[in-house]
Amino acid sequence: MADGPSNTVFDIFLSMESGPTGPSAATSQAWLESRSRALGPLIHGRFTAPDDRWTRSLKDAKGDSVCSVLCAVEEDISQGVSSSASGFLSWSALSCHQRATVLLKWASALGQYGPCVAEVSDLSPASCPPASLVRLAQYYSSWAQLRDTLLPHWSPLGVVEVVVSDDCPLYFLMLKVLPALAMGNSVLVVPGLSTAPSALLLAQLFTEAGLPAGALNVLTGNVVSLGAAVACNPTVRSDGAELCRAAAGVSVSMSCSTRAVCPFIVFESADVDSAVDGAIEAAFEKRKEVQWVLYVQESVMDSVVARLRLRMAGLQCEALRDEAEHSLVEAAVLGAQQQGATLIQAGGPPATGLQYPPTVLCGVAPSSPCVSCPTPGPLLPLLAFRSHAEGVTLGNHSPHGHAASIWTEDLTLALEAAKSGHKDSGSCTDGGQEGLYQFLQPSSSPSPPRSSPASLDYNQFGSQFVGGKSCKSQSGGSVVVQAPDGASVLAYCPDGGRKDVRNAVEAASKVQPGWMKKAPSARAQSLYSLAKGLEAKRQEMAASISAQTGLSLDEADQEVELSVGRLTDWAARCTQVQGGAPAVPQAGSALSLPEALGVVGVILPDNKPLLSLVTLLGAAVAMGNAVVMVLQASDLPAGLVNIISGARDQLTVALANHNVIKAGCQYLQHTAPFKTLWLHGQGSGDQGSFWAPASPALLEETWQQATQWKSIWIPTA
Amino acid sequence: MSVRNPGMKIDLEWVSKVRVNTQAVLNRAQQIQSIKLAKKQWQAAWLLKAVTCIDLTTLGGDDTQSNVHRLCMKAVQPVPRELLGSLAMQDKGVRTAAVCVYPSRVADAVRSLKAANSNLPVASVATGFPAGQTPLRARLEEVRAAVADGASEVDIVINRTLALTGQWEAMYDEIRQFREACGDAHMKSILATGELGTFTNVYKASLVSMMAGSDFIKTSTGKESVNATYPVAIVMVRAIRDYFLHTGHKVGFKPAGGIRTAQESLVWLTLMKEELGPQWLGPHLFRLGASSLLADIERQIFHYVTGRYPALNELPMA
Repeated sequence: MADGPSNTVFDIFLSMESGPTGPSAATSQAWLESRSRALGPLIHGRFTAPDDRWTRSLKDAKGDSVCSVLCAVEEDISQGVSSSASGFLSWSALSCHQRATVLLKWASALGQYGPCVAEVSDLSPASCPPASLVRLAQYYSSWAQLRDTLLPHWSPLGVVEVVVSDDCPLYFLMLKVLPALAMGNSVLVVPGLSTAPSALLLAQLFTEAGLPAGALNVLTGNVVSLGAAVACNPTVRSDGAELCRAAAGVSVSMSCSTRAVCPFIVFESADVDSAVDGAIEAAFEKRKEVQWVLYVQESVMDSVVARLRLRMAGLQCEALRDEAEHSLVEAAVLGAQQQGATLIQAGGPPATGLQYPPTVLCGVAPSSPCVSCPTPGPLLPLLAFRSHAEGVTLGNHSPHGHAASIWTEDLTLALEAAKSGHKDSGSCTDGGQEGLYQFLQPSSSPSPPRSSPASLDYNQFGSQFVGGKSCKSQSGGSVVVQAPDGASVLAYCPDGGRKDVRNAVEAASKVQPGWMKKAPSARAQSLYSLAKGLEAKRQEMAASISAQTGLSLDEADQEVELSVGRLTDWAARCTQVQGGAPAVPQAGSALSLPEALGVVGVILPDNKPLLSLVTLLGAAVAMGNAVVMVLQASDLPAGLVNIISGARDQLTVALANHNVIKAGCQYLQHTAPFKTLWLHGQGSGDQGSFWAPASPALLEETWQQATQWKSIWIPTA
Repeated sequence: MSVRNPGMKIDLEWVSKVRVNTQAVLNRAQQIQSIKLAKKQWQAAWLLKAVTCIDLTTLGGDDTQSNVHRLCMKAVQPVPRELLGSLAMQDKGVRTAAVCVYPSRVADAVRSLKAANSNLPVASVATGFPAGQTPLRARLEEVRAAVADGASEVDIVINRTLALTGQWEAMYDEIRQFREACGDAHMKSILATGELGTFTNVYKASLVSMMAGSDFIKTSTGKESVNATYPVAIVMVRAIRDYFLHTGHKVGFKPAGGIRTAQESLVWLTLMKEELGPQWLGPHLFRLGASSLLADIERQIFHYVTGRYPALNELPMA
């Protein structure tokens, strides 16, 4: 842009154009040059750049190639995994303070190389300012320092693999990597194509900050095959569930149905101008962390649309990733138009090449593919709703999503809407103390079985998981079906099949919302009376256990006693465990609320039938979940049925306890592909030892597994 | 100035529905301040635009004929001819939008400008500026006197007592009377936002002032402890946009008080462009109330032309 004829001072004085403000890219270019523009895996603190690898080319917004990224092969993977294993030994051997210091040093290195980090991060469409990474590092440095003080019964998992999809923002990647490192794990990152340069640069800075070699390795290449390949490697101590957690949280899946769809709800009591600004920022300017759908109350629809028109006029076209994405976006817009949607499009210069103008699709139906299965690209579907309740229902009516934005100046309405929001797609909790547990295991528990990750098929996680637990057999077993109203035991069904599961799940999901809404003290009372009922039947129970498992009567009696104690424990926790008001870096206040997951499938082990049952069931039910249980063999103590019906007045309605054989996978598959999975270390030598000790960490872990955390941020000045 | 805002009947339902989210407004203000601005000729052109939007102001108890005269001469030739010449802007009518003085100095200003053969508008503050705590009769008389002396723009202050106690209808009636007293002179309503308490009050006061026929709404007198801030400006320009969407009338915006640097003037222009669009970027719909701002803009333009920063005594004094 030289002083051309159209750029004299007078011309600009008349047109008041803004002029070019492109960021300089000098330092990032220099860094890329220093790597010869071919970014290879970073293993054991060193870049490796073998010549004979496939490469993927990373393009910038104009379609020019910026650099190439090498695809790791088997050899690199095994190198990376063994390096990570040794990295874990040296990293976890450090003291908490030493780990915290490394994280802090990394934060200051970020500050020092801020411009370069910012420029490299700008190469990806979802860039992340260094300042927020610094904040994240400082936050997790504090957790690293305090791990042994505040989480005394927990130890790191080992090697944690973090896999993210190609379009995952850098911030979400680091939101996994930093807590994993802070807790003393070594991390193997498989970044997406667009975050690869940043991930490599950040890992390089970690090496400079004094992180032991191998504690953070970066493998580049094809995310999916690489992620699965690493997970299958038997030396990675992080189990399959870990991969699922890491991947689910950042929507790694290939099908667009797993992309998070988040509602942006504007009530009539909102500051409409601010809401429109917020919607535009979230949907178009911040470049897609999630897909937003805008829901607007009908009474303010006109003013929202009028403001959208004005604000959209000033927006620029956005670059799409490739030709395929471009045609996807065009097809989605066309589809919406055929359903009667009208468009509000950006008024900037017309799109060229792979660009597309930010577009609001007004009046689409919830059934429209652009709502239910959103495409990437700068599209924002806009729907109307009539009442507050309908707004919340519409916003919740999507299988995926991990956030919602609620706009109203009415605090009561805001909190009610926030609390009634509930998603089925449980994944994992990020951030805060709750988010640390995914990278920790109770110090006393045995390690998870090696067999299940090895047999892991990435695309069919649910069934494979169950398969790993040898639940796949189609034959044998018996079923106890109890009516949802808990009136009685309906039958012993010798062949529990998928229909039983279906009925069980249907019944459970029917009663679960009501149960969850009950006051914690009411849930506690139900559990207390269950414990009381168990106590009353103590002798029969012990006899029954003894008869079925072959334990001595004394041992069986002890198990019953422990079970009563465990139930009482959960009952007590109902009222004691509350959320909190964590400090947040932004202005305003935040609430952290524990909530039930919904309907939980529990697959029980063979040993300690009663104790394991009350441990898992108690925790789940205490939190307000409904439970569908799967037993491995027909060793359900006959007495249990009596106990439950004994306490049925309060409890059984909510339990909706269908005891089904083998078919847990069915439920997991068809309702929630990314259900949180929790693997136990059963099958180790001493079968009973896992359940018996009442270690605080085991109870805490069980409790955490039955809970999902909802954070509500109320921005105030 | 061009088309005037005729105003409308007061719509109290509209006023009562106003909601402003403080944090969102602060957030937006941050965003606007973080927008990167172009350098070189873009900066020079934008700075000259800012000059043409300045209401060059002196509001001192010690104002006399001589310093008002100097101010008028500076307003007519705000940037030295040779600097404008280097930018090929010497004949493009670069002058400030108006001069702004107390009512008693209007006659002095009109005389000076007439002598200099300039039709530059003279604006007068009025209605018991800055507090507005004088009887309505006196305030109306003040407006009439300023207009009679030749003021073609009148900056009135609203009655904060009425605004703070929610007597919007009474406030509307007062401003309506001021508007009548102004006659053909354009009316700018000063909201004194630093004394209105909440953003919601600022928004409501903006709406009522526009309904009553203000041609401009202005943030502050420059005499309150808090003057023109970006968040408050966002609230006011949103009200302007709201009024425009409802009525089709464009009302201007004038931040005033505490605006001293060239950089700030660029942020103000950016704010107008982002929130209201490019058609609001001109003296007919945007003014900057300032006295010392001009010197800093001159300095920056001097630097763009010569590559050096001037000492203050190298630039003509106001």
